[in-house]
Amino acid sequence: MTSLQPWWWAALPVLLLPLWWHRQKRQRTAAELLATARFLPSSAPQQRRIWRWADVALLFVRLALLVALIAWLAVTVFPWRGNTVLVADGLEPAWVEREVASARMQDASRIALPPQVLDWLHRNEHAWRDDARILVLAHAGDVPMPARPPSFAHGVTFRLAPAASPTPRVHHVVIATQDKRWQALFAAFGSTGERYEIDASPSARTELIVWDRPGAPPADWKAPHWWRSAGAGKRVNAGGLALTYTDTPQGRIWSGMPWPPASAADAAALHAAWHTLAVAPEPYPLRALETAPARMASAAADGTRAPWWPWLLLGLFLLERLLAHARRT
Amino acid sequence: MLQTPALLAHAANLDLVIRHVLAGLGHGIHAGRERGAGVEFSEYRAYSPGDEWRRVDWKLLARADRYYVREAERDSHVAAWLWLDASASMAEPSYSIKGLDKLWTARTALACVAAIAQRQGDAFGLVVCGDGRAEVTPAARGPRQLQRVLAALARTSASGALPDAAALKAALRIAATPAVVFAATDCLDWPSPMSEALQRLRHLRHDVRVLALRTQAEVDGSFPSGVAYREREGEGALHRLLATDRETYRDNAFAHFSGVAAHCRQHDIALTEARIEQPLEAVLRSWLRPPSARGARR
Repeated sequence: MTSLQPWWWAALPVLLLPLWWHRQKRQRTAAELLATARFLPSSAPQQRRIWRWADVALLFVRLALLVALIAWLAVTVFPWRGNTVLVADGLEPAWVEREVASARMQDASRIALPPQVLDWLHRNEHAWRDDARILVLAHAGDVPMPARPPSFAHGVTFRLAPAASPTPRVHHVVIATQDKRWQALFAAFGSTGERYEIDASPSARTELIVWDRPGAPPADWKAPHWWRSAGAGKRVNAGGLALTYTDTPQGRIWSGMPWPPASAADAAALHAAWHTLAVAPEPYPLRALETAPARMASAAADGTRAPWWPWLLLGLFLLERLLAHARRT
Repeated sequence: MLQTPALLAHAANLDLVIRHVLAGLGHGIHAGRERGAGVEFSEYRAYSPGDEWRRVDWKLLARADRYYVREAERDSHVAAWLWLDASASMAEPSYSIKGLDKLWTARTALACVAAIAQRQGDAFGLVVCGDGRAEVTPAARGPRQLQRVLAALARTSASGALPDAAALKAALRIAATPAVVFAATDCLDWPSPMSEALQRLRHLRHDVRVLALRTQAEVDGSFPSGVAYREREGEGALHRLLATDRETYRDNAFAHFSGVAAHCRQHDIALTEARIEQPLEAVLRSWLRPPSARGARR
């Protein structure tokens, strides 16, 4: 059982109320009726302290109702998943079976690998029983390496299939200049492994526009990045080059680079420098990993309550009303 | 045979109990002025359930194919008034006989008196004093009246206190004709509005006979000791009974009942003291005995 809003359990002292109501604390000394009691000497009434429970069934129902209510508010989750294999799409079935067999999890249930599997596991780990193990089968590169070593309350094993040969990425570039050297330079960038396609006018796929024409570019030209010969803005140093950039509605305009680069070496340096500034780094892929179960409080905010909780509360409430009514009549 | 008080107490049917008690009682208890059915023929009346079969005119049945009862001329002017004390103290049970309490004995004794009165052709009525009220069943004759009175007695339960003087005033209007008043009570509230009412009836020249009922344990204080006791009427204080308190109890009870007896003697009210464990026939016999006979025997 895991509680996602554990502070609600601090309301448990409320259970003392029905206990208090149902306890009969004092009772007069049991006196028997006697018609001729007046002929006897009188005695002072004596109180005696007794501990007795009245309406035990009603008391238990009330306690159960309160506990259920608090547990519902505390978003108590009952772990129900056993050993599980998370399998990514498109994996080779023979490899999957081999890995499952080597982990001895043939009878484990299998679910599809969700995106952002590490976050997903952290969020949903409360659904697994304490003794459950989790096997993650994914493509190499599907799971990015987190900044810290991942730590889970259950034993989680990551097995990564060898990645298929990566398809080279295609960048769409618009070069608005008469200078033929820009085309040659982008052809040279393409030799590093990434391909550059040069289009005549920008489209939604365009990543970079090189503008080397007199005058301002048309207003409907938009791209994430622009290279222009001159411009003002923030200065950043990268790879020995002092680049400036400024953000406009049309995109981020970079300037300050050698215009156009004189040599292939200059072009490569410019590309490398700009790349480090403008393009987010590729995540480093996680390698095969096996984590030991760690005792930790898995607090997730978006835990969902089981659908039968309201029915349980309603049933207990009706039962309590019935018993209370039966007691009165 | 329903001879012992224990067996009688468990008989649910009051009618049956009366028959057995009266069978043991014999005849000639009360000199009624009316000799029962058929002294001076008066009229025929349609049979109604409860009429004695011996009073059905069989010859008329043969002729008319209907049941008729011969009604006789009645010259009895003595009405019997049955007073039942149904206050809560009458619920005191017997410690030796299970199922027997003072109310049961009082009720059965009054039912027997009613049956005797009915047999003798006397009118009889009932006053039940309990729960702060006095319920009056007007005096009348006949088997139907007996059934009415028995039903009223059977549904009586002991609760509450005796009625006050104002509530008893209506009950006092009952006795226009000469009456014999049979009052069954435990005399614990004495003097009380009820005792004053009886005293007033006696001053109006009615024959008042009080049956003072007590249990054997009440007489000799043989209650279990070490228990706190509370009175049955009202939210009374607690009383204790230690082994040393029995003497005090007996002294107090003796003083109270001596006072009751003295009061009755002073106002010429016939008082019969009885314990509910005694055989009912004996109790009835001494209760119904005419005061003159008592005096003679004394």
